[in-house]
Amino acid sequence: MDKKTKIWIAVLLSVVLLGLLGFFALSHLGGGTIAVITVDGQEYQRIDLSRVTESYDIEIDTKYGYNTVHVEPGRISVTEADCPDGICVAQGAIDRGGVPIICMPHRLVVKIEGSGIDG
Amino acid sequence: MAKTRKLALMALFVAIALTIFMIESQLPPIAPIPGVKLGLANVVTLTAMLILGRKEAGAILAVRILMGAVFAGSPASLLYSAAGGFLAYLVMCLTVKHFQENQLWIVSALAGVAHNAGQLLACVLIVQTPGVFAYAPILAASGVITGCFTGFAAMYLTRALRKSGAS
Repeated sequence: MDKKTKIWIAVLLSVVLLGLLGFFALSHLGGGTIAVITVDGQEYQRIDLSRVTESYDIEIDTKYGYNTVHVEPGRISVTEADCPDGICVAQGAIDRGGVPIICMPHRLVVKIEGSGIDG
Repeated sequence: MAKTRKLALMALFVAIALTIFMIESQLPPIAPIPGVKLGLANVVTLTAMLILGRKEAGAILAVRILMGAVFAGSPASLLYSAAGGFLAYLVMCLTVKHFQENQLWIVSALAGVAHNAGQLLACVLIVQTPGVFAYAPILAASGVITGCFTGFAAMYLTRALRKSGAS
């Protein structure tokens, strides 16, 4: 194996390791309790998860598609979607700000922001 | 290569790429992370680039993306795959001459990262939420892994095609 190949193996391997590490860190970091649901860049609803005492569902039916967002005390998830891949449902619930839930085909983002009232 | 033969080969490559693309879009996602997929149709783009040339590979890719969106996607998914496909193709064109054929996996890994970068940019523009950039690290990692995989597949396919005298 020549030197060039070895260097590229090292570079690509570090991208993989740093990427995995970065994602792991991001999904375990970040605080906040305000869940913000946006569709196509427009804010759809804003919920303070720290004040939720009973679970409920929000049905989001837009021209892009249908999603059910499940709100629980302290966390939020997408539990139903009529998109072809269902990745947003597979992502499960989030309870912190690091990584948002995305439904790419429906332009839906569920993220958690800082706990300030002004948001 | 005769003109007619080339045209027939290109049409064949488009048909194969589109079939692979359609089948992959019907499979369950390999990870619960938006944007992470194998991108097996890229094997065809890479193979076409080695056997037919850069321009031809670009044409095959463009037709596959357009027809893929018609058959399996939505207007939004066309934007994602076009942005990813274009960036990946650009990176392939720029790097393919600098590597030997047995290093094709490096070209493909770089193209994989470029593809995911393009797709992420398109996604951020569409949903207008910068928080989506949180997916950048994992998409870079997944681009390298899936790119290596498709790169090796394209290398062996090219070798087999040359051996068989099909090209």
